[in-house]
Amino acid sequence: MGAYIVRRTLWALLLLVVVSFLTFVIFNVFPSADPAALRAGRNATPALVHQIRINLGLNKPFYTQFWIYFKGLVEHFNLGYSYYNSESVKSEIFSRLPATISVTVGGFIVWMLIGIPVGIVSAIRPRSILDRVMMGGSLVAISAPVYFLGLVSLFLFAKGTGQLQWFGAAGSYVPITQNVGVWFNSLVLPWLTLAAAFAAFYARMTRGNLIETMHEDYIRTARAKGLRESRVITKHGLRAALTPIVTMAGMDIGLLLGGAILTEIVFNIPGIGRYAYDAIVNSDLPAIQGTVLFGAFFIVFANLVVDIMYAFLDPRVTYG
Amino acid sequence: MRRPIAAVAGVAAGVLALVAAGCGGGGSTSGVQGASHTITAGKKGGTITILSNGDVDHIDPGAAYYQFTYAITYVTQRPLLAYKPNSIQPTPDLASSMPTVSKDGKTVTVHIRPGIKFSPPVNRVVTSADVKYAIERGFDAAVGNGYAGAYFGVIQGAPTKIGNSVPNISGIQTPNKTTIVFKLSQPSGIFVSGLQEPLTAPVPADYARKFDKGKSSSYGNHQVATGPYMIQNNAAGTITGYTPGRQIVLVRNPNWNPKTSWRPAYADKIVFKEGFDPTVGTKQILSGQADANGDFPPPAANMKQIESNSSQKPELDFTPTAGSRFVALNTQKPPFNNKYVRMAVAYVLDRNAMRLTRGGAIDGKIATHFIDPSFGSHGFNQAGGYGYNPFPSANNSGDVAKAEAMLKKAGFKSGKYTGPQVTQVADNVAPGSNTAAVVANSLQKIGFNVKTISVQHAAMYTRFCGVPKNAPNICPNVGWLADFHEPQADLDANFDGTNILPANNVNWSQLNDPAINKLMAKAKLELNSEKRWAEWGQIDKMITASAAAIPWIWEDSPTLYSPKVTHATELWNGGEPDVSFMSVK
Amino acid sequence: MALLEIEDLHVSFKTMDGVVRAVEGVSLSLDPRKTLGVVGESGSGKSVTAQTIIGLTRFPNATITGRILFDGHDLVTMSTDDLRAIRGARIAMIFQDPLSSLHPFFKVGHQIVEAIRVHEDIPRDVARKRTIEALRSVGIPSPEERFDSFPHEMSGGMRQRAMIAMALALRPDILIADEPTTALDVTVQAQVLELIQALRDDFGTAVVLITHDLGVVAQMCDDVAVMYAGRVLEQAPREMLFTQPQHPYTWGLLQSIPRLDAPRTERLSPIAGSPPSLINAPRGCKFHPRCPYAPPPAFETEPELAPAEPGHLVRCHLPVEERRRVWQSLQQEHPVLR
Repeated sequence: MGAYIVRRTLWALLLLVVVSFLTFVIFNVFPSADPAALRAGRNATPALVHQIRINLGLNKPFYTQFWIYFKGLVEHFNLGYSYYNSESVKSEIFSRLPATISVTVGGFIVWMLIGIPVGIVSAIRPRSILDRVMMGGSLVAISAPVYFLGLVSLFLFAKGTGQLQWFGAAGSYVPITQNVGVWFNSLVLPWLTLAAAFAAFYARMTRGNLIETMHEDYIRTARAKGLRESRVITKHGLRAALTPIVTMAGMDIGLLLGGAILTEIVFNIPGIGRYAYDAIVNSDLPAIQGTVLFGAFFIVFANLVVDIMYAFLDPRVTYG
Repeated sequence: MRRPIAAVAGVAAGVLALVAAGCGGGGSTSGVQGASHTITAGKKGGTITILSNGDVDHIDPGAAYYQFTYAITYVTQRPLLAYKPNSIQPTPDLASSMPTVSKDGKTVTVHIRPGIKFSPPVNRVVTSADVKYAIERGFDAAVGNGYAGAYFGVIQGAPTKIGNSVPNISGIQTPNKTTIVFKLSQPSGIFVSGLQEPLTAPVPADYARKFDKGKSSSYGNHQVATGPYMIQNNAAGTITGYTPGRQIVLVRNPNWNPKTSWRPAYADKIVFKEGFDPTVGTKQILSGQADANGDFPPPAANMKQIESNSSQKPELDFTPTAGSRFVALNTQKPPFNNKYVRMAVAYVLDRNAMRLTRGGAIDGKIATHFIDPSFGSHGFNQAGGYGYNPFPSANNSGDVAKAEAMLKKAGFKSGKYTGPQVTQVADNVAPGSNTAAVVANSLQKIGFNVKTISVQHAAMYTRFCGVPKNAPNICPNVGWLADFHEPQADLDANFDGTNILPANNVNWSQLNDPAINKLMAKAKLELNSEKRWAEWGQIDKMITASAAAIPWIWEDSPTLYSPKVTHATELWNGGEPDVSFMSVK
Repeated sequence: MALLEIEDLHVSFKTMDGVVRAVEGVSLSLDPRKTLGVVGESGSGKSVTAQTIIGLTRFPNATITGRILFDGHDLVTMSTDDLRAIRGARIAMIFQDPLSSLHPFFKVGHQIVEAIRVHEDIPRDVARKRTIEALRSVGIPSPEERFDSFPHEMSGGMRQRAMIAMALALRPDILIADEPTTALDVTVQAQVLELIQALRDDFGTAVVLITHDLGVVAQMCDDVAVMYAGRVLEQAPREMLFTQPQHPYTWGLLQSIPRLDAPRTERLSPIAGSPPSLINAPRGCKFHPRCPYAPPPAFETEPELAPAEPGHLVRCHLPVEERRRVWQSLQQEHPVLR
């Protein structure tokens, strides 16, 4: 197991290098804006654009630029400075990390608390009215775009703009360290919005997995032993049905930690997703690079955690 | 030009929705031209909240070059000249009176008000040397000012090579602590107007020099103020009120003396909250949670609702943006090196349909030449006002017959273009992509086969249209906003044939017409404003008639206020709210 | 008195395709300490019958009628809670594939402990000791270590032994073994059958052995019921069935047993055709489409399960003499039926 983790970690690092290199290549090969010209402004003299190009290191061939970036990253964990406003990308990302974690983890808790029970209830009585209502509702939730759902929730339940002024408005996020109450209140709608599609998806997954599991021979064995049906479902059924869901949840959290872009934009939460969006709008390569790298890191890391977790969840899986 | 004209993302969907609903919103824009919005006196105190989608471009006043940033810069900094919100005529701010220009036009003298102090922690009295340093650091790449070369390059000794240090410019002289003298290498009709740019706001060299060192100045995060407000900072002078992409907090500058300023500065605190989706932001302003929009127009669907609501309609101000959008034709290569082919395009373009791609009449008036109505007597009237339209058509929808006549003059006997395919480089997102599609459709009517390359808006400028060797035949999504209401600021960069650059070029049609160049050179030296504006009006007509570029819209910028505040819309600055004139009711 | 008495059992399931009539009027009886073999192809209703005994077919779409008398109670109408007390404790069941029948995520020992503690309120460590004893009694070496093994860590034979240990840990009155050896290697099959036999003899457990393999029946059973299309076609004590089979289907099954005395090259002869649909069963005798001897009435009316001689029930239209004659000629002619 130890050797496996080491091997996987090395692969993960290599993958991150490849990802950041590809970001560089894509940025340089595809027609994106010239950062020096953007930084200098449209009325700038050629002399100024020239010097800014040198200052940003853009006069060097792109592989040299990548090497400089890479060296800074490895030696000093330096993610570079924004072309747009010269701020340190690393400090920007880290200062935004708590917001993204707040959105993601809270949303995750909500979607698991809703999705899994709904899935179980549906699976116990498949094709019942309750099942049909819940699965129909989940289809709607999956199909509703986050952006639209976010706006609707704001216009229904947010202070100021809502019909019922219950929860924090867009842009009311404060760090948890500053005021827990305000933090929580500002995140209720983002959590629900983010969780809606995921909860629906997880409910459908749970239902499908559980129904399938309940047809397994070992469930019949459990019943033949004389176990109560509730115990057959909660212990024998869910134990098997939820294992793939737990791993998927790990992957989804990893993905979202890279920035829940739409949710952060609608609710104006200063997270990594919002930063990534601004970076793209501003053709700000270091910021794009930083957010891509961070997103990739979380995905790769989540993958690793999920794989290790799987070995604990499913005794049949071993890594050598 | 402060910013690519369509910098705000996320507006597109709303605009299209408006088109689908067939709403013109026509009445709203009437009376904009020349008219100033009413500004009422208010009472002191309270907090004003401005919402924005994006961030300022640069927090450093010496690098700021964006309308939204100016809404902050002008109330925290005092340039030599500035504007009252409903005016396009500069007024002394740090200067005690308007500058005096010598007869030969090569010496400009400005006196500054005595006793104006920097905010903490500097706290000392501003001297003319601080103005000199402020302008000089504009020529340092570490600051990266975007307009220093354009407006201050005419000063004697201004560097032509830019490095990472603050140069000493011999032509900026400070004979005493309240006098600053500019020695110019040649007379300039717009030099005095340029003194209203924030680059002339004083920067204390003794304090700022350490921050200006290196490749990237950090003075922005340590800046001190001279205006009624300052960005919140700590005792060491480090800015604490600015979190990039999140918010900017302005508090009162304790060292500001109201007797030295015409700004009423009613509110105690101003918060610029950033990162708002335009729909959400608009709703929050309407609900009174916030007070005005900073960088985004309310989405068209919301504007339609506001316009139809009698209590909300008065909260919406429209302001001309001092510029136009146009279609640039590459005059340096076939087929648009032929004047008649260009004129055919000018006749056939369906400007009405193009305007609909941006929301129709609510977005502005159809442009028939370049200098926009907000210039009024500063050149708009001289260019023929609303009456000048060399390529008229019914309902501005294009005139195929006249276009075909032009093509015949160009040698296409059938009246249809039969040459090779032409290429345009356009935005890859709406509304620009839709505008480009209309252009292609219009050209198709007279035989053109248009190939469209779609890229990011900024890439369109910096990689294609702004690089002559990569320039396509047509740039359908370009536009220009004048920095101030001098026609030279509107026309020179775009159409001066002596200033076509190999990169970062803004003369997108690469127009190099000796007659126009000659008249421009003359007008630039003209110190008499009436004569100057008349000459530029003439230049506007000549450019328009050449059809090197075809203007199609003079845009209006909407400013929405909450019911809790009084209005103060900046006519000179594309409708930004002037927070030093707004007040909490 | 019989330990288990099944009377006129009908089991059907409503499905999207129609009503599946899986069991149609089955009556069986099992005496203490005896082994009843239930033989048939897949789809004959033998497994459904077996599972219905302990209520494993009580699905929402199932209709069950008839009586299953056990210890004076009718298991068909018994409440689920009461039935659950009998499941595992008094009537235990083991299944065909021990790998899929054991939960892959739980240790084998734990699964047996759970089975014990459902029925007996005893501490964990006591249940553990009993589990280890049970594992030892089914011949699993070093049962203390095996207690902590996961199913996938054991061989197929070991797994089935563990299943048997689980079934027998509570000393049930009846063990229902549903194809207990089908998924196992031939050598392991014999060991498992011997184990079941030994346990029956040691503990006095009655066994219902569900199988498609008459060879297994010949080795193990006291009585045999041959099932087809949800019905019993022939039922007799073992000796009688093997020496005097009276149903053409039984003949076919007997002809398809591999015989040690037959030449290796001789092909086994499965019965031609396939079992009928349980949704749209044929009219008349359910076996007539595959029966080379079917007399005309078989096409129209279904024969009753009638005594041909004491203790021997047959469901066939052929006259008794005719059956004897055919069986004799079949045996003389050739051991293989075409």
